[in-house]
Amino acid sequence: MAYNDHAADAHDHDAHDHKPHGWRRWVYATNHKDIGTMYLVFAGISFFIGGSMAMLIRLELFKPGMQFLDPQFFNSMTTMHALEMIFGAVMPAWTGLANWMIPMQVGAPDMALPRLNNFSFWILPFAFTLLLATLFVPGGGPAGGWTMYPPLMLQGGAGFPMTIFAIHMMGISSILGAINVVVTIMNLRAPGMTLLRMPLFVWTWLITAYLLIAVMPVLAGAVTMLLTDHFFGTTFFTAAGGGDPVMFQHIFWFFGHPEVYILILPAFGIVSEIIPTFSRKPLFGYEAMVYATASIAFLSFIVWAHHMFTVGMPLAGQLFFMLSTMLIAIPTGVKVFNWTATMYKGSLSFEPPMLFALSFLFLFTIGGLSGLMLAIVPADYQYQDTYFVVAHFHYVLVPGAVFAIMGGIYYWLPKWTGNMYDQTLAKWHFWLSTIFVNVLFFPQHFLGLAGMPRRIPDYAVQFTDWNQVSSIGGFAFGLSQFLFPYIIWKCVRGGVRIGNRAWEGAHGLEWELPSPPPFHSWTEPPSLALIQRGAAH
Amino acid sequence: MAVSAPTAPDAGKRRRDVRRTAVVLGIIAAAFYVGFIVMMVWRATR
Repeated sequence: MAYNDHAADAHDHDAHDHKPHGWRRWVYATNHKDIGTMYLVFAGISFFIGGSMAMLIRLELFKPGMQFLDPQFFNSMTTMHALEMIFGAVMPAWTGLANWMIPMQVGAPDMALPRLNNFSFWILPFAFTLLLATLFVPGGGPAGGWTMYPPLMLQGGAGFPMTIFAIHMMGISSILGAINVVVTIMNLRAPGMTLLRMPLFVWTWLITAYLLIAVMPVLAGAVTMLLTDHFFGTTFFTAAGGGDPVMFQHIFWFFGHPEVYILILPAFGIVSEIIPTFSRKPLFGYEAMVYATASIAFLSFIVWAHHMFTVGMPLAGQLFFMLSTMLIAIPTGVKVFNWTATMYKGSLSFEPPMLFALSFLFLFTIGGLSGLMLAIVPADYQYQDTYFVVAHFHYVLVPGAVFAIMGGIYYWLPKWTGNMYDQTLAKWHFWLSTIFVNVLFFPQHFLGLAGMPRRIPDYAVQFTDWNQVSSIGGFAFGLSQFLFPYIIWKCVRGGVRIGNRAWEGAHGLEWELPSPPPFHSWTEPPSLALIQRGAAH
Repeated sequence: MAVSAPTAPDAGKRRRDVRRTAVVLGIIAAAFYVGFIVMMVWRATR
C-alpha cells in the first residue's frame, strides 16, 4: 500500500476553528483554504464551459462543409474557448492551488492579505459572466481569436467593449492575487524557512507572481488602446490614421509569451513535488531547478516576436528571436533532465499523481520539441497559422498545464479532505485522458504539416480522415473528464481515512499538518526540525 | 554543523512588513497598469 491509512494522528480541529457557516463562509471568505476551494471550483466550471465550446468546434470539424455552426459563431467559439480555458480555467486553478498550498508549505497561518484575496476571487465570476454574456448581444461574442488582433477585433459588435472590460477585470484579479502570493512568501515564511528551503511549487509560484505583475498591465494597455481606437477616434492600430496594426501584435505578445510561462511554471513546481515523492528520493538538482525557472522567466520577456515571424521583420530581428527562443530549451532541458535523474534508481510507484506527472513529462516534452520546430524561422513560414501550431500549444497546455493541475489535485486531495480517493477510478481517468488527449491532438500535427489552416469552420476534403480521428479523440477526452469531478465529490463525502502524510515518500510542511488541516494552518510556526525534515532536497 | 534556532518576528513587525511589501507592489502594479494606459492616451491626443 503506497499511502498511509493511519488515522491515529487525525484530530478534530473543528471544535476550535470558529469558522463561519452557510453562504457567509463563502461570500465573506478570508480563509486561504476556502478561497482556494472557490478558485478550484470556479476553474472546474470554466474547464467544462470551455470544454463544451471545444466539443462544438470538433463537432463542426468532424466533416468538411458546414454542418452545425454558423461561421461567425464558430469563430466566436474558438475565441471564447481560449479565453475561458486560459483566464477562466488554468490561471484560477493555479491561484486556487497557490491559496491552498503556499501558506501550508511555508509555515504561515494564512495568506498575508485575506480580504484582498476575497476580492481577487469575487471579481472573476462577474468578469466571466460578462464575457459569456457577449454571446447573447447583437454581433455575438468576440470572434477575432484570443489574440484580439486589430483590425478584425475592432469589427466586433456590442460584445467588444464587454470583452475588454471582462479582460480588465481578469487582469486586476490576477495582479491582486499575484501581489498576495509575493507578500505571503516574502513575509510570512516560518522562521528558518529560508528561500532555498522552500518547496519548488512555492518557488515557481513566486516567479510566476512577478511575471503576472509585470505583464498583465501590458495586456490592459493593449486592450484599452483597442477600446479607444473603436470608440474615441484614436488610430493606434489603424493604418489610415497613421497607426500600425503590427504594433498591437508586438504589445500583445510582450504580454502573451510570458503568459505562456505563467500557465506552465507552476506546473513545473507541482511535478517537482510529485516525482520525488513517488520516487522516494530527494529532487535531483534543487537549486538548478530554481535557477532554471528564473532563467525561463527572464527569457520569456525577450522572445515575443517568434509569434510574428511571417508578419515581416528585419533579418537581424528574426535571428535574435529565433536564437533567444531556442535558448529556452536549455533551462527547460535542465528540468526534464533533473526530473528524470530524480527517478533514476528510485523506488518508483505509480499512483495517480505520479501517472499524471509522468504523462506530463513525456507529452509536455513533445509540445516543447514542436515549439523548437516553430522557432526555426524558415520552417515557421510553413507552420504559421496551421493546425501544427494548434497541436503544439495544446500539447503544452493540456497534458502540460492541465495534467499538472490534475496531478496536483490528486496529490493533495487526501490532505485537503482527510480521505483517500478511489485510486482505481483515478487511474481510469488518467489512462482515458492520456490515450485520448493523444488521439485528439497528435493528428493535428499531420493536418498542420499538410497545410490545414487554423480557425476555419470548413476545410478541403483531403483533411477529413485526421479531423475525424481528432474529433473522436476530442469527444472521448471530453467525456472522460466527467470522472474527475465525480472522484473528487466521492472523496469529499468519504473514503479511507488517511494520516498526516498521505503518501509515504512525501516531504514538506503541509504533510506535518493533520488531514484535513485545521481552519487556520500554522497558528504556531513550525519548528526548525520540521522545516529541515520537509526540505529534504 | 550547529544550527541556531531562528526566532519568530513579533506580530507588529510582521504586520508592518506585510503592509510595506503590499503597498510597494501595489504601487508598482498600479503605476504599470494606469501609467501604461495614461501614456498611450496622452500620446494619442498630442
